[in-house]
Amino acid sequence: MGYDLSRFQGLVDEELICPICSGVLEIPVQAPKCEHAFCRACIMEWLSRQATCPVDRIAISSNELQPVPRILKNLLAKLVISCEYAASGCTAIVKLEVLDSHVLDCEHNPRRPVLCDQGCGLVTPKDDLKDHNCVRELRSLIQTQQQQLTQLEEEVVDQSVSINEIRRELNYLKEFVRAMRSSHPAMRAIAEQFEKDEVKRWASTLPKAKVSRWGAMISTPDEVLQAMIKRSLSESGCPLHIMEDLMANCHERHWPTGLASLQTRQRQRREYDSYVCRRIPGKQAVLALACDNTHMSEEMMSEPGLVMIFALGIE
Amino acid sequence: MANIAAQRIKREFKEVIKSEEVAKCAIKVELVSDSYTELKGEIAGPPDTPYEGGNFVLEIKVPETYPFNPPKVRFLTKIWHPNISSVTGAICLDILKDQWAAAMTLRTVLLSLQALLSAAEPDDPQDAVVAKQYKDAPEMFRLTARHWTAAYAGGPYSNPDFDSKIRRLTDMGIESHDARVALSSFNWDLERATEQLFS
Repeated sequence: MGYDLSRFQGLVDEELICPICSGVLEIPVQAPKCEHAFCRACIMEWLSRQATCPVDRIAISSNELQPVPRILKNLLAKLVISCEYAASGCTAIVKLEVLDSHVLDCEHNPRRPVLCDQGCGLVTPKDDLKDHNCVRELRSLIQTQQQQLTQLEEEVVDQSVSINEIRRELNYLKEFVRAMRSSHPAMRAIAEQFEKDEVKRWASTLPKAKVSRWGAMISTPDEVLQAMIKRSLSESGCPLHIMEDLMANCHERHWPTGLASLQTRQRQRREYDSYVCRRIPGKQAVLALACDNTHMSEEMMSEPGLVMIFALGIE
Repeated sequence: MANIAAQRIKREFKEVIKSEEVAKCAIKVELVSDSYTELKGEIAGPPDTPYEGGNFVLEIKVPETYPFNPPKVRFLTKIWHPNISSVTGAICLDILKDQWAAAMTLRTVLLSLQALLSAAEPDDPQDAVVAKQYKDAPEMFRLTARHWTAAYAGGPYSNPDFDSKIRRLTDMGIESHDARVALSSFNWDLERATEQLFS
């Protein structure tokens, strides 16, 4: 709704008056063909009842409304208006273009936002300040945040359920592809690329790890330890087709010649820091994947990669 | 009353008062209550019509939702016209119904009503009896409308024939208005009007 005409200094041109509210245009828009201008709120209200221009009844709809020409905006901006809190004592008379910023700062504005000086850091309208209670406000803030948190948690549960379903379906698909590959030679190349990409994608989800105590390596992990590592790998989304091979490579009997025995390991020790390692989530163990370590010599790496388990020292 | 309605009516009230039609005594508007929700309008019967010389008073009620909905207007002065009920004064005029537009004002409404008095729409009647007479017996309609203007709106043309027929009925104890309605409805056939009044 437009500004009351009586608040303006001097005469206001008839062209700047909204034909609906008869006030001075506030946030003006115009009809597309006939170019009649209205306050945005007024014309929206009218169009919700009847889809015509209120002046000449040409059919219009709300999404056809256009901004008014710059000259009209400029004429409006230059009008001089009294503050809407004149009745509360504000004597300010400002140009229409700065009215909003004045009202926000006007000391007579009962709703002027002010910062609470009790230290809660909340901003409240000035006339609410006397009833303002930091503890109550903060408590309700906590409550709403708590609700949001609960909501988010529920969403997370839902999401993880659907992720698991998708993962299971994906595994079926992979099985299917593998079966196809063995029955059709042309599928082999595609499937291999597919598997390589899959390994890379999985690897990129694992954080890089740094081994600080190479001496703490467990080169002959027992069955229990191996089972624990395997579960971790599986939970991290390790592609099934390399899982068994990777797990085989967690024991020195399957390691390449450069690592196969204590003697060779001691000889190659200074090469260890060249490994690009990835953390097996939650475990004192790292993965050195072949695709991450193409720079390592053959006697230090084997397909699809190595699992190295440590007693401690993984960062 | 909604702020926007009050603001509009205040402004329109001034607009009517300052308009040249007021200077020519063609239309007039007065406040009934301070709240601007109820007004009294007045229009002069247009020249060269049976309403010439009469002044017709209108009740204007401004709804909360004005100007998104039209004002509710009816004739307080009794009038014989196809689009105005001779009983209630209710008006059948499109701009007071679905053809209302928010940019219309009290002044344009009053002028539209004045135009309606000049040009009736018998095919879209509010009063079927009047509309039938308008179409079937236009001269009878003209005389009747002029008689009503004289009787209720201060019009200058009296009709001694009609007056004497009414007197015949009032002498029998009939209210003069009821007598006028009955006679008007039967094209001033005293016999049929009497029959209807006493049936």
